[in-house]
Amino acid sequence: MSGPDLNSQDQPEISGSAAAALPPEGRPVLDGSSIEFRDASVTYKGGVHAMRSLNLTIEPGEFVVIVGLSGAGKSTLLRAVNGLVRLTAGSVTVGSTQIPSGSGGTRELRKVRSRVGMIFQDYRLIQRISVIENVLLGRLSQVPTWRTMAGLWPQRDKAIAYEALQRVGIEEKAWVRASNLSGGQQQRVGIARALAQQPAIILADEPVASLDPVTSRQVMEDLVRINRELGITTLVNLHFLDLAKEYGERIIGLQAGELVFDGSADTVTDDDFHRIYGRAPNQDDVLEAPPVALS
Amino acid sequence: MSLPQRPGAAARRLRLVTIVAAVVAITWWAARGIEMSLGQLVRNIPQARRLLNDSWPPDWSFLSRLLDPFLETVQIAILGSTVGVLVALPVAVLAARPIAPRRWIYLIDRNFMNILRTLPDLFWAMLFASAVGFGPFAGAIALSVFSVAVVSKLLSESIESIDLRLLEAVEASGGTWFERVRYGVMPQVLPQYVSYALYMFELNIRASVVLGLVGAGGIGVVLNVQLRTFNYSRVAVILIAIFAFVLIIERVSEAARRRLV
Repeated sequence: MSGPDLNSQDQPEISGSAAAALPPEGRPVLDGSSIEFRDASVTYKGGVHAMRSLNLTIEPGEFVVIVGLSGAGKSTLLRAVNGLVRLTAGSVTVGSTQIPSGSGGTRELRKVRSRVGMIFQDYRLIQRISVIENVLLGRLSQVPTWRTMAGLWPQRDKAIAYEALQRVGIEEKAWVRASNLSGGQQQRVGIARALAQQPAIILADEPVASLDPVTSRQVMEDLVRINRELGITTLVNLHFLDLAKEYGERIIGLQAGELVFDGSADTVTDDDFHRIYGRAPNQDDVLEAPPVALS
Repeated sequence: MSLPQRPGAAARRLRLVTIVAAVVAITWWAARGIEMSLGQLVRNIPQARRLLNDSWPPDWSFLSRLLDPFLETVQIAILGSTVGVLVALPVAVLAARPIAPRRWIYLIDRNFMNILRTLPDLFWAMLFASAVGFGPFAGAIALSVFSVAVVSKLLSESIESIDLRLLEAVEASGGTWFERVRYGVMPQVLPQYVSYALYMFELNIRASVVLGLVGAGGIGVVLNVQLRTFNYSRVAVILIAIFAFVLIIERVSEAARRRLV
């Protein structure tokens, strides 16, 4: 019996170059912007293994795209970073803080969350109030609760919120009701809300899945630009392979809760996608169908 | 091709007959229990006619003396509704399963709400009348409790049906429990909450008339006095006035609510 060999067979096969995990040059390095998973597992009630002994290090300022079929554990991975989903084994560390497991550590967790912005597929804006009030929610953790309850936001925080709106280019919509915006505009408000947190990390959970191709590109470009300018570590879940290749620097592939690919976007091949998806990529896996010849 | 017989048609018919028979039997049992008799109803028609004769024509001159009691009724209803609706908010939030911070808090609050709702408003009026004395104040406290009971139940059900995804967004940005309620819950239920408040005010106007009958202030007290002194032409004026008044309040409140939701 060859013990060590057996052991290595249990490990998911990982290809691609690990050298992708280097802090990208020219970007500011933010405190608390690294993420480290150690033997991290998540088993949901009912026995679904959404994450299996994941080992993963994300350096400050990286732009990482996570791909995989739905149910592969992409959302779980993102939510483990800000503790919306707690690990059932192993650890995840953000900066120097380990995310508490179990249900405790509320205060610690809020501290981590205050520096981790999140963007959702369905935007999750309060539809009945104005855009700027939605963006101000990004300041919740920095403003005393009695003020947020009364809606008495300090001037300084209003300025930060307005700046965040300017950064995504929709400051003229500040006083418009969120429900009156298009999907693309709402997603930008979602990005602004995350930016208003002055985060070290941004988690984007399928941010373009509800958008048309043109708007999708604009939103992805916003995310890339913010990552370059501010050095915010950015994790994006995507299910479109072409977008992943186009915008990701580092691509992580998940399958049934396991890491099956980790490498730079330049090196990823169709074979890699084949392995991540367990089948050949098809039309549904790309944002835009290949150009059709018009006769 | 003709339509085939519906499967189990005979069993269906039998079930219908059984249900109808059961309803008839239970009603008959109840009527016997309260000694209902059509004969008695018919024999008493002359007396009812005398009552109507005494009430007609209504004593319209009495109308001017109803203004102050009516105002008092409105004041009781306003106070009862305002206090009750405000207190109902935290009661409702803690009784909504996805929002309550702990399961035992949810269970205690839910049972508290059920007890409040089981006891009728008249009970509260009598309880507080004996505590703070007969009068409009007792009425207002009683209606406050009544309002908490009604609004907390309605509101907690509204809260349980909200979209929880917004809560996750507030949580993700580091919001406290209070901030989750303030921004994740309240914006979603605010129109309903205001609507319930107006509806409660309507209910309280009607309830405060009845509470007056047991001495808790307002127009009901006047009605009670005139009934006891057999002054039916005045009773008629009061009833007509109450009818018109409640109708107006309902219309106004309904119009306001329709704009909200």
